[in-house]
Amino acid sequence: MTSVQRQLTTPAAQAALLRVDDLAKSYGGVHAVAGVSFDVPRGRITGLIGPNGAGKSTALGMIAGAIKPSQGSVLLNGTNVAGWPSHKIARRGLARTFQQSSDFAGMTVTENLLTARYGQRGDTLRGALLGRRYWRAEQESLTARAADVIARFDMARMANELAGSLSGGQRRLLEIMRALMTEPEILLLDEPMAGVNPALGERIEDYLLQLKQDGLTMLMVEHEMAVVERLCDPVIVMAQGEILAEGTMEQIRSDQRVLDAYLN
Amino acid sequence: MSLAWSFYLSTVLVYLGVDVMACWGLNLQYGYTGILNFSFIIYQSAGAYTAAVLTLGPATAGSFQQYIGGANLPFPLPVIAGGIAGGLLSAVAGVIALRRLRSDYQAMVFLVISLIATAVVTSDVGLFNGPAGLSIIPQPLSTALNLSLVGYRWFYVGLTAVICLIVYAFLRLITSAPLGRSFRAVRDHEQGAAALGKNVTGLRMTSFVIGGVIAGISGAVLVEFISAWSPGGWLYQETFVLFTALIVGGTANNAGAALGALLVPVAFLEGSRFLPQFGPPGLIDALQWVAVGLLTLIFVWFWPRGVLPERRRIIKLPGLQQAGTGRPRPVDYEKTAETR
Repeated sequence: MTSVQRQLTTPAAQAALLRVDDLAKSYGGVHAVAGVSFDVPRGRITGLIGPNGAGKSTALGMIAGAIKPSQGSVLLNGTNVAGWPSHKIARRGLARTFQQSSDFAGMTVTENLLTARYGQRGDTLRGALLGRRYWRAEQESLTARAADVIARFDMARMANELAGSLSGGQRRLLEIMRALMTEPEILLLDEPMAGVNPALGERIEDYLLQLKQDGLTMLMVEHEMAVVERLCDPVIVMAQGEILAEGTMEQIRSDQRVLDAYLN
Repeated sequence: MSLAWSFYLSTVLVYLGVDVMACWGLNLQYGYTGILNFSFIIYQSAGAYTAAVLTLGPATAGSFQQYIGGANLPFPLPVIAGGIAGGLLSAVAGVIALRRLRSDYQAMVFLVISLIATAVVTSDVGLFNGPAGLSIIPQPLSTALNLSLVGYRWFYVGLTAVICLIVYAFLRLITSAPLGRSFRAVRDHEQGAAALGKNVTGLRMTSFVIGGVIAGISGAVLVEFISAWSPGGWLYQETFVLFTALIVGGTANNAGAALGALLVPVAFLEGSRFLPQFGPPGLIDALQWVAVGLLTLIFVWFWPRGVLPERRRIIKLPGLQQAGTGRPRPVDYEKTAETR
């Protein structure tokens, strides 16, 4: 039983892992996100959709700490992390991918994975100066984990290639793999299918479904409706910085406000 | 070897050692961590001035040179103090530039800091004797060793080499550890690194201050050898010579940085001394700057990874059939430009 699965069996697991309350961001007089509230339930893939400029990526950025909210709270496992810097939120178990891939281009795929884990023994000045003997054992176990992740995502062939030489789709995959190295409780995905060829897109979908089965909670911004339909439940629709509707894809599709927002 | 050649060669070798150390310091900051430190030369200078005043002894009223904090410390304390001074000044500049600003703005702030430092030291004569600078700085251990003039110079070449080795061993501990990988992660994608829990500002500060310490040590080693230091020797352009050396030699590779130090400040700039004089006085000096600028442009355009590029670090994974041990596939820098 993984740690995530164990949590799912406790009564507290019924509560949302992530709870966003009245979250807002304005730039000057423009409200990019105008006070949104929603829950991200454990063990599911919550979809966040909406037309361009709806404020989806801004909301995601605020949850992950990349953008400072103007108001509101972000409860991650009950702790309000709104306004915290990204690295502190990441250390609380939140991992993310970016709209434009954020791989470390000058490093190999394996190195990208090895660097992901926070708090490594050799990752401080003191630890580095104490020498290889101080951090080698930990690196070996991390390398074994990286090998597992690489095998699971069928990337062994690319393991020692530089991330900068991968295709756009492979880089998306690498971002997800790297996030998994941190053993997150929740994974935020910002358009994971953008610029990915259909074959690889299907593979990414399969991987995400597997991760869901393992109990990983995800919040995904995605434009491809078919993908959202296959993966996400619940789905939250945003338009012009506000939440229009929330529910299953079926409920969403029959919502007149949603239809209006998309047709406009 | 004639006396003159021995004299010249020993001088060039000490300069080489100093430039190699400086390039390593800058390489840690720029090559590994991606910090565009356009004020690098002032941390070298901070080390040089500190070592100088700690060797010169207390300033006397009415002397031809005025300075603060004079003392008479034995070797190697002035060199160590020079490193500390470089690190402290880096910490101050880092707090100003590295905390809130994007990296292109950081570069601007560093350039401005360099100009301010030159202006302050030049106009405040009480600090380090203004534009005239400090001179007749005693050479370390010269009386104790009682060597001939040339003999002492070769002793100093050896001393510089030993200090270089110590700096190299220190850097190697850092760059081969997970810490070095975190520096490169910050360089390649700042937000991506932060999203993995890396404290980007903390990592940048660490790299920046270590680079500053190395800069300070290099300045101290140089000033103890040449016995003089003045603002004319550390104008902001000198930083760009070191950047050119790194770009030519190869960034994020300590061998590349050392090669760059040999090729640019030593071979390229020293070599041009042997050109026949032509044109009005000062023309050759001015052309040197033009040549350094052109060298940077040529490499950035046609050979952006330098002579000895960053090496790909192959890691064997247990239980996996791997490819990728042959020639690396080229990085598509067009594609990665937006993320770098």
